[in-house]
Amino acid sequence: MLKLHGKLPVLNSVTKDSYLVTITKSTNLPLVLRKQMALLGQPSEDGKDYKAILTKEIGATNHHGDSDVFKISDDYDYLDEGDIVRLDSESGSLRCLYRKNSPHNTILLTEQCDHYCLMCSQPPKNIDDSWLLKEAFELISLIPTGTERLGFSGGEPTLYGDKFIELLHCARRSLPDTGIDILSNGRAFKDLEFTRKYAAVDHPNMLIGIPIYSDDPVQHEYVVQSKGAFDETIRGVINLKQVNQKVEIRIVIHKQTINRLVKTCEFIARNLLFVDHVALMGLEITGFTRPNLDVLWIDPFEYKDILSEAVALLNSYGMMVSIYNHQLCTINPDVLGNYRKSISDWKTEFLDECLSCTKRADCGGLFSSSKQFRHSRYIKAFK
Amino acid sequence: MSKFQEIKFYKAPQFSPYTLLPLRFIPLDQEHYVLTNLAGEYLRVKRGTLLDFLRHKLSNEDPNYTELRARHFLIDEASSIGPELLALKVRSKYSRLSEFTGLHIFVVTLRCEHSCPYCQVSRQSEDKLRYDMSTEVALGAIDLTFRSPSKNIKIEFQGGEPLLNFDLIKYIVLEAKKKNQESGKNLAFVIATNLALISYDILRFCREHSILISTSLDGPRALHNANRPRPGSNSYEKTIEGIKLVREMLGRDQISALMTTTEASLNCARGIIDEYLAQDFKGIFLRPLSPYGFAVKTKSYRAYDAERWLEFYTQGLDYIIELNRRGAEFVEYYALTILKKMLTSEDPGYVDLTSPSGIGIGAVAYNYDGYVYASDESRMLAEMGDTTFRLGRVLENSYEEIFTSASLLEPLEASFAYSVPMCNDCAFESYCGADPVFHYRIHGDFVGRKPESEFCFRNMAIFRFLIQKMETDTFAKQLFVKWANS
Amino acid sequence: MPDKENKPRQILIRFDARVTNLQAVKKAAYKYINSFSADISLNDNEILCSLTFTASANVELSTRLIEDFKKEVLDQDLREQIKAETEPIRNLIFALAFSKTGIVGNEQVPRD
Repeated sequence: MLKLHGKLPVLNSVTKDSYLVTITKSTNLPLVLRKQMALLGQPSEDGKDYKAILTKEIGATNHHGDSDVFKISDDYDYLDEGDIVRLDSESGSLRCLYRKNSPHNTILLTEQCDHYCLMCSQPPKNIDDSWLLKEAFELISLIPTGTERLGFSGGEPTLYGDKFIELLHCARRSLPDTGIDILSNGRAFKDLEFTRKYAAVDHPNMLIGIPIYSDDPVQHEYVVQSKGAFDETIRGVINLKQVNQKVEIRIVIHKQTINRLVKTCEFIARNLLFVDHVALMGLEITGFTRPNLDVLWIDPFEYKDILSEAVALLNSYGMMVSIYNHQLCTINPDVLGNYRKSISDWKTEFLDECLSCTKRADCGGLFSSSKQFRHSRYIKAFK
Repeated sequence: MSKFQEIKFYKAPQFSPYTLLPLRFIPLDQEHYVLTNLAGEYLRVKRGTLLDFLRHKLSNEDPNYTELRARHFLIDEASSIGPELLALKVRSKYSRLSEFTGLHIFVVTLRCEHSCPYCQVSRQSEDKLRYDMSTEVALGAIDLTFRSPSKNIKIEFQGGEPLLNFDLIKYIVLEAKKKNQESGKNLAFVIATNLALISYDILRFCREHSILISTSLDGPRALHNANRPRPGSNSYEKTIEGIKLVREMLGRDQISALMTTTEASLNCARGIIDEYLAQDFKGIFLRPLSPYGFAVKTKSYRAYDAERWLEFYTQGLDYIIELNRRGAEFVEYYALTILKKMLTSEDPGYVDLTSPSGIGIGAVAYNYDGYVYASDESRMLAEMGDTTFRLGRVLENSYEEIFTSASLLEPLEASFAYSVPMCNDCAFESYCGADPVFHYRIHGDFVGRKPESEFCFRNMAIFRFLIQKMETDTFAKQLFVKWANS
Repeated sequence: MPDKENKPRQILIRFDARVTNLQAVKKAAYKYINSFSADISLNDNEILCSLTFTASANVELSTRLIEDFKKEVLDQDLREQIKAETEPIRNLIFALAFSKTGIVGNEQVPRD
């Protein structure tokens, strides 16, 4: 698992507050550009005036008066040209927010949420973190236009209301060719007015992923820990499709959703046939999942037949379906057509057992958290 | 970190009030009932559960309660989005109606060289040329065809034996395509033929214009030839030969086959299905015998009764399910049509099983003499001397006159299933249809008395059979879901 | 016992007028014009039907016809009632069916 944030020893501190900066490895950039960038590596003799320097070497030449200088460890070897980090030279904090080499970057907009899912991987915090939204605007202005896709998540991004819509407009203007993936509980869209504002962004390639965990409102609301969630979410989905927005339904499979998985998929096929995609997802053992593990954990190998039935049903109805976050040895071959390698590259791991597996290249692997805390007992290399 | 609530926090007290959504119910077997909602979705429940449910005594702890709520039979404090979802589904189901007439039957000639005893069309023998459609009538019929708002138009050539007037078929295809340059519809052509007269020349033309072929195959050789007497007694051989030729020239799936059920067919369900499999067809339509044309004249209609046909059908369907279980992909098309209605919000557009009836709204027939009929069966009735369903005449009546003719509107309105005793409160109404022509023929009016109607008896039995299958056989259920979506 | 006279049989049937629609009785009677003639009258809460069978009708036949006639009355009665109740939705659906034909005024006439 990549270390995306941490504290570095500070060798020189110039800037007062934290700031976003793009990384470069180039030591002889024109002066004008140097002032906006962070150099990864050791600057040359006459090379100075970078906004920040991230270096592994310590020496007299490191004390460049105008630059914030950090000592960087091997943990950050993944950093590369074009990545964007937030630096704070007072605390030494580094946080990687954007990686050019990653196929999918996600921007965290807030940790506030009006749900409290049993398996939430980003547990809600009830503090004012609207600075994250401000930072998102800035980040968008730095992200290069070649970027294929960008994600917005939280918490619940729509809690920002119109400001969230503004952010989408900004993304559309600055990154017109970048696809947007939004994760939301969809409830804000029960308001048709708000939905129309969202549609007015008129983005050519924007998808919103909304979880529906059961066809039984009681079960769904138990999983998301919020009364009234079911109807509002469904209404949100209907409204979004009414104004022709792309919608994905997401189902995380665990012990509280497995018993009605097939019926839930039937419900989706009968009532929400018009959604663009259904994602069936494995559990990530992080956030709230760990304290709730006894209520949530079921070995994927034990539910693989139910998964096959659910996928076969959705496929029969002609819906687009993908299976995420599962290992190839824990699913039946009949769902291979729907299987995706989906775990973000920075958190993909394999077990020792997997070293000899002939299908490793095709497998999505495990979450680092799964490897560490709980994974299927049936992980076995293919010969 | 706040505490997590247990699931009971999200439940209302056990016997909290709930509101019924519109529903109908009917017994399925000794123990169970079937409920259907407005969108035609069904649920099977035990009689006791149904009674409790209707009396507002059902506990929300009962697993049936969860199903009833999820399938929109009730709303309660936990969820009331049901009506909105039902409305969306109902709208989908009816959206195809306004497409209006998609199937246009052109009877290019009444001549035929077979003499099948059950023949629906009272065919005239080969040498009477006055039984051919004229080019003027053909042009007029094409005009009427394109007046239909439907984006998809299928022109089906029938007879007699339509290939006996192939020149006119060519003419109509070319004229229709010309006319379609302005209209831009999805235009399809089918020729319904016994294949005795098929040739390379004919097939070359068909290939050029993507014309599909539909032929008759009643079953194995003995059965087929017994049903279809022909000078030379080789109808089967000619048909098989013809099928091969068509496939060679047009492609494997450009030909379909229809069977006709006679007294002789009733004991050979498997044999007939095996024949279709052997001839590489993807499925079969197990049809009842229609009470028109020669069938009645030669008394073959009364030769079997509804029960025996039902046995034939259920045996056939059971066999087909077995075949699929063993890995052969093969469909029964009547079941497929019904399953589409049971399991999706799509309208299969099958004119014989729909309410409002498909006469006029789904299909129309232009006879060789220019008279326009509400359906193929209506035309057959006319050949027997009864012109009740004659709507007008090509070149004499306008589109408006034809489609607002009382002979169309009266049976349409009178037979509308929702407005008719027994159908009105039948749980299977959304799977069924209004068949005014059938009921008029057998019972003397457009509606009939459903308890006495063979149409009703037959369909109800099939609905029950399909539901029982799905409830007791997972493989069959999954197979049916595939059929319903194909 | 053989019939001594060839007198046409006459049977009186009563329907409760609070339950059965008079129009339905008339429609049903009309259907059987070939089998019997009916004198229909209204008396307080009763519809009285005096059925006169043709001379050739024996007891068995006339009994069957009477049974059938009663069924027909029920059938026609229900037809009236249900037709009236379901008129709005029926009109809605037929309007939808004909909505694009250009026949019923105001709609777009399909041209492409």
